[in-house]
Amino acid sequence: MTKRSRLTRFVGVLALLAALAFLAGCGGGGNKSSSGGSSSGSSSGKTYPVLRVAWDAPDYMDPQLYYTVAAYQIANYVWTGLLGYKHVPGPAGATLVPYLAEKMPTISADGTDLKFVLRPNLHYSNGTAVKASDFRYSNERAFKMDSPGVGFFSSIQGVSGPNGYATTKKGHISGIITNDANRTIEIKLDHPEGDILYILALEFAHVVPSGTPATDQSTHPIPATGPYMIQSYTPNRGFVVVRNPHYNNQIPTMPSGNPDKVIGTIITDPVASYQRVVSNKDDYDYNTVPNDRLPEAQSKFNDRLRIYTNANTYYYAINNAIPPFNNMKAREAAQMAIDPQAIISGVYGGLGRATQNFLPPGYPQYRKIDAWHFDLAKAKQLVQQSGTAGQTVDVYGPNEDPSKASTEYLAGQLAKIGYKPKLHLLAHAVYFQTIGNQKTKAQAMFTDWYQDYPHPIDWFDTLLNGDRITQLHNNNVGNVNVPSVNKEINALKKITTLTPEVNDRWAKVDKDLMATYHTTIPYMNRSQTDFFSTNVDMNCYVFSVVLYWDWGLSCMK
Amino acid sequence: MATDSTSDFTLDPAALLAAEEEGPIEGKSPWYLAWRRLRRNYVALGFLLLFVTILVLCLCAPLYANHVAHTGPNTGHLGETFTRDGKQVQVVSKGGFVNGQFHAGGIPVGPQLWHAGGRYVFGADNQGRDVAVRLLYGGLNSLAVGIGSAIICMFFAIVLALLSGYFGGATDWTISRFFDLIWAFPVLLLAIALGTALSINGFHHFGINIQSGSLWIPILVISFVLIPYVGRPLRGQILSLREKEFIEAATSQGASSWRVMFSELLPNIASSILVFFMLIIASNILTEAGLSFLGAGVQPPNASWGTMIADGEDRIATAPWLAIIPGIMIVLTVLSLNVFGDGLRDALDPRAKVRMDRR
Repeated sequence: MTKRSRLTRFVGVLALLAALAFLAGCGGGGNKSSSGGSSSGSSSGKTYPVLRVAWDAPDYMDPQLYYTVAAYQIANYVWTGLLGYKHVPGPAGATLVPYLAEKMPTISADGTDLKFVLRPNLHYSNGTAVKASDFRYSNERAFKMDSPGVGFFSSIQGVSGPNGYATTKKGHISGIITNDANRTIEIKLDHPEGDILYILALEFAHVVPSGTPATDQSTHPIPATGPYMIQSYTPNRGFVVVRNPHYNNQIPTMPSGNPDKVIGTIITDPVASYQRVVSNKDDYDYNTVPNDRLPEAQSKFNDRLRIYTNANTYYYAINNAIPPFNNMKAREAAQMAIDPQAIISGVYGGLGRATQNFLPPGYPQYRKIDAWHFDLAKAKQLVQQSGTAGQTVDVYGPNEDPSKASTEYLAGQLAKIGYKPKLHLLAHAVYFQTIGNQKTKAQAMFTDWYQDYPHPIDWFDTLLNGDRITQLHNNNVGNVNVPSVNKEINALKKITTLTPEVNDRWAKVDKDLMATYHTTIPYMNRSQTDFFSTNVDMNCYVFSVVLYWDWGLSCMK
Repeated sequence: MATDSTSDFTLDPAALLAAEEEGPIEGKSPWYLAWRRLRRNYVALGFLLLFVTILVLCLCAPLYANHVAHTGPNTGHLGETFTRDGKQVQVVSKGGFVNGQFHAGGIPVGPQLWHAGGRYVFGADNQGRDVAVRLLYGGLNSLAVGIGSAIICMFFAIVLALLSGYFGGATDWTISRFFDLIWAFPVLLLAIALGTALSINGFHHFGINIQSGSLWIPILVISFVLIPYVGRPLRGQILSLREKEFIEAATSQGASSWRVMFSELLPNIASSILVFFMLIIASNILTEAGLSFLGAGVQPPNASWGTMIADGEDRIATAPWLAIIPGIMIVLTVLSLNVFGDGLRDALDPRAKVRMDRR
């Protein structure tokens, strides 16, 4: 599972995301001057020797490169940035707090100048001191390595343009000014960007020592700033994480962690990882329990099973630019032809929650939409009225279950309402690249989105703003282009604080796109499982919307 | 092992059959003699009957779908119910969150046999599709691929073997190297590579347009990769036959090369061709199942026995029939073809040792 299952689509497109994000000041509920979180940095007194986990394969173990949950969930306790998320359960876990920074930044009135001060006496796990210039080095390292996250930072002065650091990769990024003696970091932006603080909390901005080679260091662990460090990592085999001997509770806003050591075995087969946890060989199963074993897990091991729904939306994109779905009645018919509960039950074993919203629940901008109902007869009628009946529809989806089964369902339902679907199932590695190419002319397709950071810009601007449609690597795969809504999204991006009124306006964007213009078919917020051995004390279970299962707070019976 | 009728003991039943020919054989055609031997091989005939039954059942798929099951092979019924003994039953069990409590679902209904009026006789799959209907349509596809690819493969293998064996020299060298080239690849890997590449974009070269998802793709891929496995042994036979006197006699009477090849040599390898044909159908059905299981053969939503096993793999604990039933069909079909093929070989030439090479 990837942290963002559509990560391949980001490369290049994220540059546009950042470049076009004009929100000034700090977003996220106006935490501009918040001094940080309330998570206790001290040990909870529940430390224990070893946590054994069955884990999925991380893509990298290098903060400037990794982009999967498998890496993120482990490494968020290893490398840290200036800011990070509160280690608390529920929606409060989306709150930003200072990590390496002493406090939240001072931001200029126009939102283009951010000033941070590092905490005093910060050290890496090898004992060397953390310097302010390491932050700039880490950002520059990301560009040198062609990190998948560089697009996020394109609004920093000196990054974009023909002579920008992103192109030349020479000298320094002029918009990052550091002073090691004073421990200050100043970030200057080309234009205000509302989600910049969330971007600075991304793994790509995590701090590594100056001089760290600008090549993949996954198997040569980079010194850590967090409470843990990577002792060893063998791709496709496993990893060992141990306590950082020089941590000294230097980041009081994050927990120092309970396990002394984490031994991870990489097992990508969910049945095998499930069996290992059933037999107590491992304490935690990272993979979602397969549908086939879910009834057993629920009936026999319910006390060890936790089900969570993080910020994601599964939806069918329908191409608004070409027939038949450039016709609004045809789009409405397609929405009515889909029975979310049938997909959730049949394809996902019940692990999902039906939705008609594009934005997932939990966001302050979320207002539940209940605008249409599954009705095949009416859908057929609408197809007839639209004059598109009998047309061929090229349906695209990945060739692996459950996405494959979900795509087959879509094709089947389109056939039932009068179209002639033609199914194209592609390997995941090329899937999003293919449907993001206008030449493919995909008419209906499976897709999903997992948040990069908790802000509606990450959803509506990236995925449904008609001004962002591109020929290649198009994130707006349904070519959704409603001029009035585009205008509203562009206006909302410039608003500095997320007040209730602003949240209502984002909610209206959601409703307009889904219910008024029927642009897309959202059907599910997917749920997943955390499964534990009998050794684990479930009273310590903490799940956060950003950090997932917080293994640092786990404890044993 | 050549069996002498005067030897004391043999384990070769075909040799025994040949040795115990009923009645005079003088004046009887080889085909008549073969039929006489075959009709006494009840095991082979029994399995032929089994294969014909499977074939006929599969050919009846549209009738079964329209008049018994009342659903198509690709029609999903997720979220729907059906009547069993007067009660409504979910095709696929409901799951999800009710009042915050999670309930696991997604288990398709099991085999109903005749309790649901002909619906879901072998149960449903995870899309709510009728397994029995898909089994018959899947059988049609599997058999179409098996037989179709066998015909194409045999055609090219025979032509190449005749050219190679009769002309010899540079022609033989070129064709033999072509066989070697294909033979150098593990057959299944080569088939997977070709099947995967073609199933994405189809084939659009040399004026031939085959769309992705077409049944022609697995047919052509399988026939191509198996050509040397038939062509090589046939070439060997041609090489041997061309030295015989009757070929010399035909040549000396002025028969053209084509006439010698197709009027003299071809009839003399007809029995081998027939045996190969039966055995290679079985082999092709297995290859198709393997390719489809791996996603490189018959493409969804179309069914084949291989794709059905792949679909059932993830449900082996809760819905084992999804994988087991098509698996049984493959076993029965392949077994029937192999046993009948062996019987046919024994009947056509009890002393022959024509066998498919083990790959």
